[in-house]
Amino acid sequence: MARYRPYGWRTSGPWTFALDANMPDSPIRRRTRVTHPINNVATSMKTWLTNAALLSLATCTPLVAAPPLPAEHLTATTLSPGNPHWIYVLDEAFNNEIDARVHLFDGDTYRRLGQIDAGFNPGFNLSPDGKTSVVGTTYFARGSHGTRTDVVEFTDNTTLGVAHEIVLPAKRAMTLPTYFNIAYSQDSHFLYVAYVTPAASFGVLDPAKNTVLDEIDTAGCVLVIPSGPNRVSSICESGRLLTVTLDAQGHESGRAISAAFFDPDKDPVFVQGVPTSDGFAFLSFLGEVHEVDFSGTQPAFRKPWSLLAPADQAQSWRPGGVQVGAVQRKMGRLFVPMHRGGEGSHKQGGTEIWVFDMKTHQRLARWPLAPHQLADVLAIQVSQDDAPILFAATDKSDVAVFDARSGQLRHVEKRLGQTPWLLLNP
Amino acid sequence: MRSLDRLFEHSSRSLARHTSRRSMLATLGKLLTGAALFPLLPVDRSSRAEAAEGGGPAAAPKTPTRTAGAKATVEGKKASDDPMSCEYWKYCAIDGFLCSCCGGSANSCPPGTAPSPITWIGTCHNPVDQRDYIVSYNDCCGKTSCGNCECNRNEREKPMYRPSRNNDLNWCMANADSNYHCSVSVILGVAEK
Repeated sequence: MARYRPYGWRTSGPWTFALDANMPDSPIRRRTRVTHPINNVATSMKTWLTNAALLSLATCTPLVAAPPLPAEHLTATTLSPGNPHWIYVLDEAFNNEIDARVHLFDGDTYRRLGQIDAGFNPGFNLSPDGKTSVVGTTYFARGSHGTRTDVVEFTDNTTLGVAHEIVLPAKRAMTLPTYFNIAYSQDSHFLYVAYVTPAASFGVLDPAKNTVLDEIDTAGCVLVIPSGPNRVSSICESGRLLTVTLDAQGHESGRAISAAFFDPDKDPVFVQGVPTSDGFAFLSFLGEVHEVDFSGTQPAFRKPWSLLAPADQAQSWRPGGVQVGAVQRKMGRLFVPMHRGGEGSHKQGGTEIWVFDMKTHQRLARWPLAPHQLADVLAIQVSQDDAPILFAATDKSDVAVFDARSGQLRHVEKRLGQTPWLLLNP
Repeated sequence: MRSLDRLFEHSSRSLARHTSRRSMLATLGKLLTGAALFPLLPVDRSSRAEAAEGGGPAAAPKTPTRTAGAKATVEGKKASDDPMSCEYWKYCAIDGFLCSCCGGSANSCPPGTAPSPITWIGTCHNPVDQRDYIVSYNDCCGKTSCGNCECNRNEREKPMYRPSRNNDLNWCMANADSNYHCSVSVILGVAEK
């Protein structure tokens, strides 16, 4: 039993005192009087205790009068129906990479709503209806080591509980998160998973039947860009796209390779695409925008355009980061984190967010981040509703929330994970 | 003149009294040996190399370098010569944790980890000898990420569709234990122009 020692009281000498008189060495048992060390006036213990009790009673009276707190019930929180301002933030947890996770964050209330565990070096995506999250990840039998298990885990987004899983061959591409590490077919019938061993291929999965249907060799082309109900495109070393068409059973029924749509030697494109109204836009290291229409049986390439005016080029402005752009489809606006850099700066985050009109290709605004004390922006996402908000994840792990129409900063969520590198919303 | 003669005679005799021919030869020998050895001493010559380049640090392109390992840089040593600094010349295309800060070195994995047999490569310029070198960046595998001295430089690095030049892939992928711990840089040879 711990003794009660009021602040400032000595533990030995004439002030020695303990409230528990039953303790063997209690001064109450040993002595009935204590002596004040200053004026040496003897005070009876009974008087002292009476005064202390009265004082205690006086100070505690309001508490005694208040009704007691009711008994509580332990519950598990359920999610309310989602809204377009919810965002899934993939934290790669680079400093302890076996512990990646996805945070669900509310861009209106600025509250964390829950978490999906994501294992090691995961791929992450949402189903077309937004009801399911898929995490393609790897677990080791002994935490950081041991037998490797590659698996896709399907999370019910209304509960954030894992609903089911599909075990993969140990071939999953372990790389930075993009839209194309794991992706659904347009009708959700198939799920595609990129493999790299380093030989490149992809797995075709049936989420309804919990099975791996096939593995398709992609001849060195990487990642899975889904289109339509049964097509998968992969980016090739030559700057071309390989498009594989599947039959109803998920097996290859045909393949075609496109003309090169960028020059990987002179100006490579980021593998992270930006979803557009009919496909994806791929930004190049030097600021070219390559829009690819995936709505047809084969990808169609629009004429590239540049984010940079000559003056911007002279100042070496360029896009960079991990998730290098976002399009608000109703507004027809493209948001890009931009920085001033050079050779090798393509992973450097943006010091400004530039806003472009997707039709005219004109720059509409520049939003510098320094006035908000924001670090370089590595990932960007925008909501698709009528009052859109823009999310920007920084090199310091903060996630900023902007009004996507005005650029007004609404909130900065500090330290939303360790390394938030992918932002997805339904 | 006589006084001058006496002065030189006195100093010569004094010198002869206090020194021997052997000590004179020994001192001379030390001086000659020191001069011969001077070019072999580990003197930092990179500043001269940079001057010869006509550039220097100000002319270097801005790279997304994180200098988390800068604390480990030995005081007075140039960062480009220090394997514990992200600025070390061999790290020009590295993206990960420096094994030199994790119990290993610039070209050896920390204890208990295994090097990846497959890798990506970069071409880095050594400012000391003015040569370009092909450098292999192997990952060290089997433990969770070291978390120390993160270094993110990407000179001539290419996206994943050029895998041999890509540092985003986990190159531990083919190891028995494919967990990523840290990265090393190993010179493969001089790059041919």
